[in-house]
Amino acid sequence: MKRLLMIAWREYLAYVRTRGFWFSLLMLPVGISMIVVAPMITARSTPTPTVAIVDLTDRRLETPIAAALSPIGSNAAPMARIVPPPGGPYAGRADATARLRAFLEGPRTLPDGRRLDAAAILWSSGGGVTIDFWSRDVGNASIQGAINDAVKTAVRNEQLRAQGVDQAKLNAIDAFNPNTRDFSPKAEHSEVKLKDRLPGIAGGAIGYLLWMVVLTGAGMLLNSVMEEKNSRILEILLTSASVPEIMGGKILGVAAVTTTILTFWATIGAVILTARSPELTADVAAFLVANGRWAYFGVYFIGGYLMFATFYVTLGAFCETPRETQTLQGPLMILMSIPLMFMTLAFTHPDATILKVLSWVPLFTPFVMAARAGSQPPLWEIIGTCVMMFSVTALELWVAVPAFRSGALASGRFELRTFVRSLGRR
Amino acid sequence: MTAALVLEGVTKRYGAFTAVNDLSFRAEQGKILGFLGPNGAGKTSTLRMALGLVAPTDGHINVLGETDAARVRHRIGFLPEERGLYRRMTPVAAIAFLARLKGVSADAALRRARDLLAAHGLSAAMNKPIRSLSKGMAQKVQLLSTLAHDPDLVILDEPFSGLDPVNQQSLETLIRGLAERGATVVFSTHVMQHAERLCDHVVLLARGQKVFDGTVKAAQATTPRHLLLEGVFAPGALADLPGLGEMTETPLDGGAVRAVAELRAGAQVQSILRAAFDRNLDISRFELREPTLHDAFIGLTHDGEVHA
Repeated sequence: MKRLLMIAWREYLAYVRTRGFWFSLLMLPVGISMIVVAPMITARSTPTPTVAIVDLTDRRLETPIAAALSPIGSNAAPMARIVPPPGGPYAGRADATARLRAFLEGPRTLPDGRRLDAAAILWSSGGGVTIDFWSRDVGNASIQGAINDAVKTAVRNEQLRAQGVDQAKLNAIDAFNPNTRDFSPKAEHSEVKLKDRLPGIAGGAIGYLLWMVVLTGAGMLLNSVMEEKNSRILEILLTSASVPEIMGGKILGVAAVTTTILTFWATIGAVILTARSPELTADVAAFLVANGRWAYFGVYFIGGYLMFATFYVTLGAFCETPRETQTLQGPLMILMSIPLMFMTLAFTHPDATILKVLSWVPLFTPFVMAARAGSQPPLWEIIGTCVMMFSVTALELWVAVPAFRSGALASGRFELRTFVRSLGRR
Repeated sequence: MTAALVLEGVTKRYGAFTAVNDLSFRAEQGKILGFLGPNGAGKTSTLRMALGLVAPTDGHINVLGETDAARVRHRIGFLPEERGLYRRMTPVAAIAFLARLKGVSADAALRRARDLLAAHGLSAAMNKPIRSLSKGMAQKVQLLSTLAHDPDLVILDEPFSGLDPVNQQSLETLIRGLAERGATVVFSTHVMQHAERLCDHVVLLARGQKVFDGTVKAAQATTPRHLLLEGVFAPGALADLPGLGEMTETPLDGGAVRAVAELRAGAQVQSILRAAFDRNLDISRFELREPTLHDAFIGLTHDGEVHA
């Protein structure tokens, strides 16, 4: 045990002293900050586009269009800034098109020096209105959509007014929005609140987090063992400690590394969440504490980590170069992406049948069961999946000891046949 | 005498391939045993069995009085053939870590690491990352890491490979020092000169089989001595000298000839010299060549065939 702890401590220090560790530690908070900050930076760095509205319909559609493009809320930026149509008056649609194109294509600017970004030419056709929308930026359809909606509403209102409906009534109809209330017998007070949706969201999120942490840790182990085999340190370790001590030490050391990263992330997350919404923090904490969920997640984290760590450590003993580990990780990641595809369901339907089925596949158990935490799986499912998961892990450990030794002492490139044969050494 | 390592009828097979076949030998306590053989002879497999890293297919191994090397791993020091250490660690940390794995306390391990590094001229490098050291220095650090726990049995797999002549010399001194303090040293090599200078006892291995087990002198005695004669004499003139066996003659400048002849068992060198003078042969060089361990090895494994 003493040797196991020594190996674990060395492994832990070896990672903590690398730049990569600190990069991993800061990556998530920086990433989350970027998700929050990036849209604001983008909005500030993008100038508000200018739009010229040429209404050839005599329906005075500029006013509703201007209202549609104006900012919603006092701090928001307008979708577009309406400018007087340059080069007018126009003899007709073709003339307007030709003159406006000159502003949209070339270097010609508006009288105030700005450039024209878009123009909408509205003309009557068959009793209706056609909008010719010209824009420098073909990828942005939002302005066109807003103009289209504004014109549609204005024309509809015009026709309703013609039918005798007064403006006040029209305004009341436009302002109508049903007051939908969400109820569920599963909700704490019948009416569904964010607190009631939290288990599904938190369970799904923790499932993804476990997947990421377990496979990151297992990948670190694979590379660590490969490096030690490559430098022949593994052979020296084998003369100084038993295989279970070496494997256990490495697994524990990397577990400590991932736990450090997770704890840091969780602390940062809790601080940010508390600063923004103390109630939500309290709800998340209550969710984790209720029904011993922290232990539930803990058991699946330990089971999942042990299962994958043991496999990857053993595999690493057969690899001598980073290329070999990368080649092996490719197909394994494809296999491990299967639960990810279905785990999105856990946010909305944590008790979906496919998730229940996948829970019984030992390789997927830890992640899928964590994602299903919100639906409170029955005790028999928890016990059954844990028995399956830990049985597979125990079997793995049993065959891994001679396989690890065999791999550590073997030379040459990785061969699947040799690896499989070594697993059968028991 | 007590043996630190005993192998009895040890065989190791990997599938159909027999790496080591019915091998028996003893490494006596406080002595230096050279484990010799060409590449692929089965040296590394044997050492790994002795260390308990792989189990023999057949036979018995006793290490420091135990049948399971794992029970005495804290008393064994091992240097593998291919070397490497934790590149980001400092020499002092790496040596102390490996010593601690062998049961040395943290304080003692650090102290011992510093003392060893200082004693071998590595004081200035002890706190630098190993990756910044020269190859020779890194190899020295690794060797010291096998000795930091004062092992009773030191097993070195090809310890001289990759070392420059100066470091080879210092390693020879180190090995002698280990034996002087009572440790048993077993080292494998395919360079016979090291074994010749260092070993009390050699075991020669070829194709997984033992071809010799005894002292260096006894190994040399398995090969005939040779006599070198140079002078101006007719080809074949030496053929009837007493005690000479198979002979090769090479013409030299000025009509001289160099003859190298095998000495038959029991042949007296003085008698041969006297007989040559009696026949008025013009001999300018007369030299007895004792067989080297290399000669013995070649003789014992003639063309790779084993002649036990």
